[in-house]
Formats: sequence, structure tokens, C-alpha cells
Amino acid sequence: MKQTQNVFFTGYVTINVEGYHPELFFDLCTRNGIVIWNIKKTGEMVCRGNIKLKDISKIREIRRGTVYKISFVQKKGLPFISKNFFVKRGLVTGIIVSMLFVFLLSNIVWDVKINGVHPEIEKRIEEQLRQYGIYPGAVKFSVGSPGVIQQNLLSDIPELLWVGVTEKGTTYYLEGVEKTVVEEKEKNGPRNIIAAKAGVIIDMFVSKGQPMVKVNDFVKKGDLLVSGELGEKLVNDEEDEEKQHQAKELITAEAEIIARTWYESEVNVPLEVNYNVLTGENKEKHYLRFWNFLLPIWGFKNPDYEEVQIDAEQSSFNFFKSKFPISYVKQNIQEKRIISQKRTHSEAIADGIEQAKKNLQNNLGENADITFEKVLHESMEHGKVKLIIYFNVNENIAKNQPISQGD
Amino acid sequence: MNKWQLRIGNWLAEHLELPSDVILELPRITTIGQLHAYIENHKGLVLFSDTELRLKMDYGYLRISGENFVLKLMLPEEILLEGKIVEIKFVEDKSV
Repeated sequence: MKQTQNVFFTGYVTINVEGYHPELFFDLCTRNGIVIWNIKKTGEMVCRGNIKLKDISKIREIRRGTVYKISFVQKKGLPFISKNFFVKRGLVTGIIVSMLFVFLLSNIVWDVKINGVHPEIEKRIEEQLRQYGIYPGAVKFSVGSPGVIQQNLLSDIPELLWVGVTEKGTTYYLEGVEKTVVEEKEKNGPRNIIAAKAGVIIDMFVSKGQPMVKVNDFVKKGDLLVSGELGEKLVNDEEDEEKQHQAKELITAEAEIIARTWYESEVNVPLEVNYNVLTGENKEKHYLRFWNFLLPIWGFKNPDYEEVQIDAEQSSFNFFKSKFPISYVKQNIQEKRIISQKRTHSEAIADGIEQAKKNLQNNLGENADITFEKVLHESMEHGKVKLIIYFNVNENIAKNQPISQGD
Repeated sequence: MNKWQLRIGNWLAEHLELPSDVILELPRITTIGQLHAYIENHKGLVLFSDTELRLKMDYGYLRISGENFVLKLMLPEEILLEGKIVEIKFVEDKSV
């Protein structure tokens, strides 16, 4: 049946042959290399059959030498459909053009409205948006999602505390909140400095205030380190209490107290670790999404990666207010490799110490200096090494404590 | 095809196990139940109607009769017949 497989696309006609023994005319045709199918005898002298569109001229030629009468009954196939289509060209093109027009207009940014910020910032936001390609008249399709715009705006305009981007049809609404830049109160009230943590003091830098401790002193948490009350000792032996109060001068103590503190941390280190690594091999696939169906338009082959990580990006078309059910999806398939690493006992311990150190550093901040570490205890459990590690840290333990003057 | 050729052809078909329809130019008919008949190597169509199909052979003709015949496909030397096939008959006609 190969011969009649693509007839719909090339077009075919049904012909009626009239005359004595009309089937013989078909026989004659086949001898001339014409393929005929679905031959039916509809009457004593009438026969009907299908021929391909391109064979029509041949049929006419063959008929010329015979007495048969041929009439065309039906025309079928794509060529006729498209022909019909082009007859009504004006109407059809009009519809298509108007659809395209509406479609195009629906995908253009018509307005950007910014609310809640000062005109100055508004201007800056507008400029920034223009850089991202969002301005009245821009094609929306190339614009990123509101979430992305939001993030970009926040990082590019530091004065913004928060910005909300919503996309309503062809208009972008931006709601901004400015950071009210509060100047840090330099003029602090009188205060003491106390110990935030227990430790042994190894260094002190007191710029204001009266130090109450010495280097190598052991302090507990909450101990007074630097007093903001000056002159206390001088007026100590005066008999009048009121005078004593007056003699005290309350100032804002400022100091940096470096103390050696200690920490114990517990870490579990598995002997076998699995982690994912992207190999850098990737492949992009493009789809058109119709409702929930993904039609691939580019990148048909599945890459032969064993493990993959897929990132998908979707941008949709709009039609009037509603979203088109068709959207464009770009997938990035990245090759992933799962690396499983086995560690020896000693490696695991080293890794554990490293990890604990990092954690501690993160907790304490950059200024802390880890000077010493020691594994206090180690044990194996379920393929994991459990470590208890002791750390010595040099860090600033100064903590401000206002002196209450309420009474 | 004269007698000698026929004999040689027969011999070839028998001893070399070649398909006899190719060697002897005989029609090959494949039927699927009563539904289809696929005829290759015929020498031309003689008659076709709702109930009968007659095909020329080298010696005589082939007659297939039945009901609701439709020629599903017609190619030079090949015909696919569809309908309800009742009878397939070889009619030898010495005069041809």
C-alpha cells in the first residue's frame, strides 16, 4: 500500500469512467504506469476510482484515444484544501493579521507604575527598569519574571528596602519601600562594658572608661570589664553620699577586650560521602507548551547522561488579559555526576576538625581567631566518626551595658 | 513461451528450488481468508464488476467471484481485491 500512502498530501481525485467495460480503461491506465485505487463498479457502465493529482494529465492523454467519458467526482487532499484557503485569502489573512495584532499588543508593556517611593527614587527605579528593558513600548517576552526583576532592583538600588513587582496584563505595578536610613546614634548614654563570655583576658584596649580587670584575669560571663563611672575611687572617702554621686562622672565606656575563650563542639563525619558534581556537559532543549503537553521544537535527542539536573525556564504569551495556554519552555539539562568518596578514619577526623573549625568561625565572625584545637573524644557509630573537639579562641568579649540613671 | 522453455522452466523450478511463479511467469495469488486477494503477475484485466474479477493469464484466465468487490489497489501486474471472495477458478482456454 506504499503507493497510496502520501496521497492526502499530494492530492487525489475520484474519477468516474463511463462506457462499455469501463474497468478496461483502468487496466489501460495501469499499463501506462498510473496507480489507481479503490476501484468500484457503481453501475453496468460506470466505474469509479481514485487517481493521484499528478496523473490527471496522463489520464486525459490516454482518454483521447478511447471512447470513454471521464468526469471528476471529488477532489481531496492538501493541495485542494490550501487552494480553497487561498480563494478566501482576504478574509483569512485579515483574521490572521488581526489576531497577530492583538497578540502583539498584548505582549507589549504599556505602562509602568511605581508607588510608595519618593520621586527621586522613582526616577532611579525607572531608569533601572529601562536598563532591564522594561519601559512602555517594550516587548514583554524578553522581560524576565517579576521575581527576577524584584531581586535585580533590590541589588541595584540599595536605598530600597523592599520592592514588589506585579504584572497585571500589560502594566507593571511596582510597590517600593525605602530604607529609612537611620543615623546610628553616636551619642550613647553612659555605659559599662561587661564580658559577653567567660574567658581569660589576654589583651585590652581601653579607649574610654576605667578598666576593672587586668590581663590574665579570668572573667565570667557578665563580669564588669570597663566601668563607665569615672572618679569613683577619688570621692570614695567623702562622707556625703550626695556629693559622691555628683563626683561620679558617667561616660560611655569604649574598649576592646580580647580574651581567650574555649568551646567544645561535636561533629559527626561519615566515612562515605556522596555528593553531586556538575560536569559542565549540558544541552539545551526548547519546547512549546500546550496546556500540559510539551512539544519539542529544538533539541530532540536526549543526551546520554547518566544523572541529570534539569533547569527549566518558562515564558508565556498573552492574549488580551488572559495567558495563552501556549508557552515557551527552555530546559537546560546538565550532566551530573555522583561522586562517592570513602575516607579513612584519619582523613575523617581531619575533615571533622576542619568542618567544626569552619562552623565555629562562622558563628563567631571574622574577628575571632582560633588558636588551638584538640580532639577530646572520638568514637565510631554506624559508619560515622563522632568527634568532640576542644577549641581555644581569641576574641573580643566586650559587651555594652548601659548604666541606668532612672533612680 | 514455447514447449521447450516451459520444460526448462519446470526443471529449473524443481531442481534449483526457485519460486515457480518467477520462472514460469504464472500468477501468484495470496488470499487472506475471504477478505482479500492479492494477485501478482497477471497479464491484464479482462472484466471487473461487483461480483466478478477476470484476469488474463498466459493460458486462459483466472476468475474470482464473490460479493462487494472493490479493487483496493491497481498497479501494472498487481491487483489487490477486497470483498467477499467465494470462488477462485482457473479457466484454461487453449485457444488463447
